[in-house]
Amino acid sequence: MHILKQLMAIPGVIAAGEYAYRGDRFSYQGALTDEFARMASILCRANTLAVNMQSEILESFADGCGCRPTQGWIVRGEKLTICAVGNYFSFIENHDELLNDVMTIMRAKVGDVESDLLVNLYARLGGNTKEALY
Amino acid sequence: MDLRKMMDLPGALAAFTYADKGDLESHVLREGTELTPQVLDLLARSCVANLAIAGMEARGWEALTGQGGFQPVKGFSMVGLEWSVVVNGNCGVVVRNHDADYEATFNALQA
Repeated sequence: MHILKQLMAIPGVIAAGEYAYRGDRFSYQGALTDEFARMASILCRANTLAVNMQSEILESFADGCGCRPTQGWIVRGEKLTICAVGNYFSFIENHDELLNDVMTIMRAKVGDVESDLLVNLYARLGGNTKEALY
Repeated sequence: MDLRKMMDLPGALAAFTYADKGDLESHVLREGTELTPQVLDLLARSCVANLAIAGMEARGWEALTGQGGFQPVKGFSMVGLEWSVVVNGNCGVVVRNHDADYEATFNALQA
């Protein structure tokens, strides 16, 4: 199942999107307009490039410290949170455990959790995280 | 902020406090971790910058879209390859990705 569809299947996920690293293409699902999705893609790309640059500086001070390559970032708002992993982003509500579920899926798809069999299998099958994992 | 308590969070490798401009003020490191006070100092500085940028973006996003719920920003996290740093206010925690409980970490930093 495509990661956007998988994320949108979770209650509390408002929108999810994917953007090209070049910055000129994007796709999304959920409660965004085309223009807002374009803005969100630019915002996420800019922040992702910034944290990548910062992690390069960090690595130059402590070789192999475990921060590079950066997988993504999270901004926690009062009621909403933005998660970005790789070139995917999601806007989610601040519900109990939702952030952990979303990050598990995003990192399983794009990140480094292949060693966790259950998570990896779930990422391949898709569906509701709570039903599948808890 | 009780840094020893922060070290009880799942996967915690380090906890630290910093001044408004990002100077490292106090820290606790898990024994055996490759993190150093110098790395924490740099992390604190980058996180202060990222929190400020996130605040600006939240304000701009709300003004442009009319969608509320982002302000005030309650924290920022950079997810690295092996660990993530989670910060809010003047305190931060570094957690191992494999064991990280982002929800609990953000909540602990708001307490």
